[in-house]
Amino acid sequence: MKNREITLHINGEEYRLNVAVNRTLLDVLRDELGMTETKYGCGTGECGACTVLVEGKEVNSCLTLAATMDGKRITTVAGRADFGRLDHIQQAFVDEAAIQCGYCTPGMVMKTASLLAKNPDPSEAEIRHALEGNICRCTGYEKIVKAVKKAAATMPGRAAAVEPCKEVVQ
Amino acid sequence: MSSRILPDFDLLLPQSVAEAVELLSTHRDRITVMAGGTDVMVAMKFAQSPAQLMSLENVPGLAYVLFDPEKGLRIGAKATVADLLAQAEVKRHYRALWHAAQTFATGQVRNTATVLGNLLRASPAGDCSCAIYAIGGVVVLQGSSGRREVDIDDFWLSYGVTARRPDELAVELILPPPAAGSRSAFKRMTRVSEDLAKLNVAVRLEMSGNTCIDARLAMGCVAPTPLRLTRTETLLKGRELTAEVLQRVAASVQWEISPIDDKRSTAEYRKQVSGVLLKRAIQEACGAA
Ligand SMILES: Cc1cc2nc3c(=O)[nH]c(=O)nc-3n(C[C@H](O)[C@H](O)[C@H](O)COP(=O)(O)OP(=O)(O)OC[C@H]3O[C@@H](n4cnc5c(N)ncnc54)[C@H](O)[C@@H]3O)c2cc1C
Ligand code: FES
Ligand code: FES
Repeated sequence: MKNREITLHINGEEYRLNVAVNRTLLDVLRDELGMTETKYGCGTGECGACTVLVEGKEVNSCLTLAATMDGKRITTVAGRADFGRLDHIQQAFVDEAAIQCGYCTPGMVMKTASLLAKNPDPSEAEIRHALEGNICRCTGYEKIVKAVKKAAATMPGRAAAVEPCKEVVQ
Repeated sequence: MSSRILPDFDLLLPQSVAEAVELLSTHRDRITVMAGGTDVMVAMKFAQSPAQLMSLENVPGLAYVLFDPEKGLRIGAKATVADLLAQAEVKRHYRALWHAAQTFATGQVRNTATVLGNLLRASPAGDCSCAIYAIGGVVVLQGSSGRREVDIDDFWLSYGVTARRPDELAVELILPPPAAGSRSAFKRMTRVSEDLAKLNVAVRLEMSGNTCIDARLAMGCVAPTPLRLTRTETLLKGRELTAEVLQRVAASVQWEISPIDDKRSTAEYRKQVSGVLLKRAIQEACGAA
């Protein structure tokens, strides 16, 4: 097949699409749906600017074929804000000035969301290990690490957080 | 070709292993199989233009990592590197593989990349491949005339080429059950953590006290495929692991490898450090008893 009818659930909304099979999820989000909050950096899985959550797991949308995503739940950085109100992770990035040009920020926020869902209280080493797939050309990472710590500290309902999972970083 | 645009291809989405095998036997060499796609997608952006791409996305029942103390570890063709890390038994009994999975790429790539895809890519730099080579195991291939098992020792034929026939789908990998006194370790050197290794090494030792009964040593980025250091292994077998033995083992490695200069490192450097890295992996395996 050269085209496929798919349904995507993006940030809680359902989209029925007819996509060319050689389009990446990133292309479909940006070019077909106009959701330009997810960024294109390298196209080869190295920079993390295109990070979105698929069924709650972070993936590089530049390496994902849209046609294979039928029925999947996708979250982009815009899906974290509630009617324009930033969530605690986005707010932590603003508060800690962890943004300069902002190009890496959508990916950083999504990666942070996935990290904190698994590990609500990460150590600095765990934060740095988690962020290794997200490149920032501006900040030098210090402020980003601080923002992730702040996001962890300000996570709503911290006590009810799911399955702490501590990977040993060596 | 660019990092942005994919070539034109026909997408095949089989709904079962049987259908996938049927498609493979009908179209043979024209099909590229895609599991996680972390290698295939990049290759399509820069080099490859398959006529047909067969995604395993809709094939059910292959995303398992199953441990049985008697039978070993079974890893299905759709199990990701992240799936391995989620299994406590992998960390406990297959330390080298767990460590390879842990240092593998990035969180995003680990969520997508499959363990079997790493074997089938047949790259000399594959991290899971290196660990699995040291641990030992068999790849289960299913073709139009049935299933067969290929020992990992016979799996890689040359750069990018495996023993898989064009009509076969790799369905699972089986690792041996953990034996008493068996231990393993993995080490790799990279430029930056998300990059491929410039050198990796994995060891599996069967120990009795401080004496090595048996050893499997594997090294990556030093030959066209992952390499077993069979001559160096003989220097370990039956020996007590004294400082002198380890020194001899480290010195022997450079005579067994044939690294090249590439963008990640030089042949000279790889020769210099290979013995040291192997020695450290052996020490780590013994320390992590
Ligand atoms: C940013 C980035 C970082 C990376 N870092 C690392 C790293 O640190 N270490 C490392 O080892 N690798 C790394 N890789 C390479 C890649 O992620 C791995 O080789 C991965 O394991 C491939 O798995 P996959 O499921 O994505 O394979 P795919 O891309 O889907 O396939 C890989 C190959 O296997 C074949 N194949 C896959 N499944 C089957 C099957 N069931 N039957 C028959 N053929 C099959 C495909 O046709 C293809 O030739 C990296 C890649 C990227 C993009
Ligand atoms: S654009 Fe996807 S990782 Fe860089
Ligand atoms: S803020 Fe510019 S790339 Fe991170």
